Amino acid sequence: MWETVAQAVINGLLIGGIYALVSIGVTLIFGVVKIVNFAQGEFVMIGMYISFFLANQFGIDPLVSLLVSMPVLFVIGVLIQHFLIRRVLGPNDMPQIFLTFALSLLLLNLALMLFSANYRTVHTSYSDEAIHIGELYIPVAKLIAFVVAMALSGALWVFLHTTDLGKAMRAAAQNRDVATLMGINPNRVFCVALGIALALAGAAGSLLMPFYSAYPFVGQVFVLMAFVAVVLGTLGNVIGALIASLMMGVAESLGIQYIGADSGLIVVFAMLLLTLAFKPTGLGGGRAR
Amino acid sequence: MKTRGLLWLAIGIAVLVALPLVVKSSFAIDIFIRILLFSFIGVAWNLMGGYAKQLSLGHAAYFGLGAYTSTILQVDFGISPWIGMVAGGVVAMLASLPIGWLCFRLRGPYFTIATIATAQALMLIFLKFRDLAWGAEGTTIPNLGNAPLMMQFDTKAAYYYVALALLALGLVITYLIERSWMGYYLVAIGEDEDAAEAIGVNAPKIKRHIYLISSFLTALAGTFYTQYIYFIDPATAFSFSISIALLQSWLGGSIGGVQLTVYSLILMAVILWRPTGLIGVATEAWQRYVTSKPVRA
Repeated sequence: MWETVAQAVINGLLIGGIYALVSIGVTLIFGVVKIVNFAQGEFVMIGMYISFFLANQFGIDPLVSLLVSMPVLFVIGVLIQHFLIRRVLGPNDMPQIFLTFALSLLLLNLALMLFSANYRTVHTSYSDEAIHIGELYIPVAKLIAFVVAMALSGALWVFLHTTDLGKAMRAAAQNRDVATLMGINPNRVFCVALGIALALAGAAGSLLMPFYSAYPFVGQVFVLMAFVAVVLGTLGNVIGALIASLMMGVAESLGIQYIGADSGLIVVFAMLLLTLAFKPTGLGGGRAR
Repeated sequence: MKTRGLLWLAIGIAVLVALPLVVKSSFAIDIFIRILLFSFIGVAWNLMGGYAKQLSLGHAAYFGLGAYTSTILQVDFGISPWIGMVAGGVVAMLASLPIGWLCFRLRGPYFTIATIATAQALMLIFLKFRDLAWGAEGTTIPNLGNAPLMMQFDTKAAYYYVALALLALGLVITYLIERSWMGYYLVAIGEDEDAAEAIGVNAPKIKRHIYLISSFLTALAGTFYTQYIYFIDPATAFSFSISIALLQSWLGGSIGGVQLTVYSLILMAVILWRPTGLIGVATEAWQRYVTSKPVRA
């Protein structure tokens, strides 16, 4: 009995690590730039396709192509902030929501046009490997993805708390006007925030590739989870998003185990709706706008 | 000036009514029906999103509820979709009460995310309960040939007139609301919710009321669409793209049959260069070149 529960929890935690990378990106952008990036899932998709093509054309392992997908998406993030988002920042949040939404549609449909709707997979030497501990079964690819995801989250935390740029980002998140008065260039900070957030999404894509299929709509799965996680963990709170993502992974996995394969998301949405009803500011404290 | 406006309105109506008499290609009529339908949904959404600036991305919830209510009534009980349409609207209104209660406590991006979640949750529920609603495979509407009482017609032109009537209904309701105290309250909320509350507007109540009307109208569109395509499943009825289509029709007027890529490019271009939307551009051009009034900065 306990093995089934433990197995479900393990599966949930492992996939929760990937959710965490996506939702940390969403929450970072929201915290610093104060916009919701509806296109975050599409950047996971781009990360997956980068890894897929590198593996397919040059035989590069998806874990190695992390070194390509993250910088590429970082640059894309900086460009998007500099050329698109900068133009719509203002008191009215409608154009911002529309912009990222349109970006999501654009990338999704470009992917459909360029790559077709086919499912693409990469098979690695460790794709089918698993570690057995007693009755429990831990797939190696997912374990690697989880460990790297946690390492990247940890690195981000260290960056935000020890470097000048990281501190500048947190300052801009707390109060943009005062930060500007202190000599922080907001656009530069926003560019870095977008870059990091998209790099994390790209990392999620590359890490997913050994055990997940790439297709144009794949981002939608992850972005929905990310939204739930960032609301659950309080929008703008990085640690909150991380913990909430892991919790949701576990909740989804238990839902699949005990209610039915199609019901994992129902548990997750129930969690979201209950949070919104009783503690709309999320579990991380702070206050909703 | 007033009579001139009425004249243009009369000409517009005459053109729309006469269109199927002139255009015989059923493909073209199909495009027009979709344009009218999505304009109608856009009008319904605009009551919430345009006037009160409440950016809901979950209107697919009401589209789907309207579609499912009328279909279940028709397939299981043989009740005409004309009645089912109204019933669907009522179901959507009832559903909007708890959803509104939940979502209107939130603002800005929280509100938008919450509305997405409600639509997605409803889709999952309809996927899950197979006994109630055929699960993932959906169902087809029995084809009765030409049965106007069951909202089935053998010509596309008839569907066209139904869609046109829906759009007219939406526009009349919008007109009445805009001219009433409610319209002013809505605009005030849209401009600045805190300021509106400070001068005594009961913002949550007004938002709930307009949400009722908006969801009722969206549900009517759901019924019509299902009757028009003779098929329903959770993925179509609650599809995210319905919610997105609302945005598009609101921003730019709908353009049927063009690739979504083009849509989204236009959408982005409009947002970046003309945040007032295409109607804003048209108004500006009209003022600049036709009436030569000074353009508001």
